[in-house]
Amino acid sequence: MIRNLFFYIREAFFSTKKNGIISLATIVCLTATLIIVGIFLIISLNINIFIANLESQLIAVAYLTDDLSQDEIEKLVQNTGGLEGVKGVDYVSKEEALQRLKEDLTEHKEILAGIQENPLPSSLEITVYDSNYLEEASYQISQFKGIEEVNYGGQLTKNLLIVFEFIRKAGLGIILVLLFVSILIMFAVIKISVHSRQEEIEIMALVGATNWFIRWPFIIEGFFKGLISSLLAFAVLGKAYQYFSGQAKEIIPFISINLEVDFALRIGIILLFLGIFIGVFGSMLSLRRISYEKL
Amino acid sequence: MIRMFHVFKTFPNKVSALWDISIHIKKGEFVFLIGPTGAGKTTFLKLIYRGILPSKGQVIVDGVNLSRLKQSYVPFLRREIGVVFQDFKLLYDRNVFENVAFSLRVTGVKNAIIKKEVNEILNIIGLSHKKNTNPHLLSGGEQQKLCIARAVVSRPLILLTDEPTGNLDPDTSWEIMKLLFKINIWGTTVIMASHDKLMVDRAQKRVIRLEQGRLVSDTMKGVYSKE
Repeated sequence: MIRNLFFYIREAFFSTKKNGIISLATIVCLTATLIIVGIFLIISLNINIFIANLESQLIAVAYLTDDLSQDEIEKLVQNTGGLEGVKGVDYVSKEEALQRLKEDLTEHKEILAGIQENPLPSSLEITVYDSNYLEEASYQISQFKGIEEVNYGGQLTKNLLIVFEFIRKAGLGIILVLLFVSILIMFAVIKISVHSRQEEIEIMALVGATNWFIRWPFIIEGFFKGLISSLLAFAVLGKAYQYFSGQAKEIIPFISINLEVDFALRIGIILLFLGIFIGVFGSMLSLRRISYEKL
Repeated sequence: MIRMFHVFKTFPNKVSALWDISIHIKKGEFVFLIGPTGAGKTTFLKLIYRGILPSKGQVIVDGVNLSRLKQSYVPFLRREIGVVFQDFKLLYDRNVFENVAFSLRVTGVKNAIIKKEVNEILNIIGLSHKKNTNPHLLSGGEQQKLCIARAVVSRPLILLTDEPTGNLDPDTSWEIMKLLFKINIWGTTVIMASHDKLMVDRAQKRVIRLEQGRLVSDTMKGVYSKE
């Protein structure tokens, strides 16, 4: 098996060298495609992170009427907690609310100076498992006795989520199209390589090489082309990402752009798998229709 | 070694290449397959190495019915059959040694054995002094010898040659013939499709004549000309 492996690898390199220009063209095409795929990956992963952040911050706030007893408040917390999709309920008392306001307004203390009585209502802060639950839960809570009003992120957040979801889906669509295109490229190129070695394949079949023995060198060729292309694409993307994310942070500071090592690693691994998958799958596809037996 | 029972071969374009061929070739025989161009000689050879399947009838090689042979076993049949073509089918991007070694490499033989076997066969064929030469620098006769070396290095049971002397001068042709006789003496069954009247008459071997896909004569110690 090892002996065969050496043979396959040697044949693969032999063929790559023999079809130098075509091999170069394949690697360039594949690298370019992977870079574009990578760009969309980075965008959609960043959006995922952004959405996750946003969603974790989404809460509904239910303001309570001032006339509730401690028992009634506890019952409300219990009822709210039992609703579908509700993750947690925090009770915020009038005093706590005022305290928070004071903290928020440290620079404008004069606003609060004239206030004698605490005007703030006590409230329940409700977190949900998924932002989709927010609307329904808010409605249910507003029906409880002792609730004055329920506020949640509202239409703006909802719209924002819809836009991001659209971008994410469009990005995924573009990635799939590019993937298909790059498999076709690989398919065509390996086909050329196969044709240029038709005679060799015939001879192999004639002297009793099994079909898989004939296929392996081409598959390995595809594998290495995919590997090289994905490494190149990763290097280019890495440099470009470093540069542009720095710039982007200055322009739109509120968007959290991810620059961490494990994020880069994730992109790298995805690109690596994609490159190798395209290379190998393209090769297999173009080898499928060779007739080894008919000579 | 090779039996054909009422073999018919019709190609998809309705051309009938072989018509009701029944034949028995024994182990170790040397057989000439003669007839004009288009008589079905190449088709006959292809049926033996299972390049094609018969439209009707049975082809049995070394006890195996080729119509019933699974696709995945075809490579193993081919390892028992050496084939030499008129147009050589050599790999011109490799040297002489590698061309011969190729047929052992693809069957997974160990390097040390490949080296020994290839050198041995090149010695017998008379090409060992050119083992590092590229085939396109060889003469026609040498290229044909190289093809024979490649076909027999794995010591097949059967050697099929399709007009191996077709493009060669009489002296070189006779050299090739002597080589084939030598291989035959080792015990290999040799079938040689040929136009070469001179060689056939001189060799005094079994002659099978095909005409328009039909077997018209089969004579021991035959000659090329019609009797």
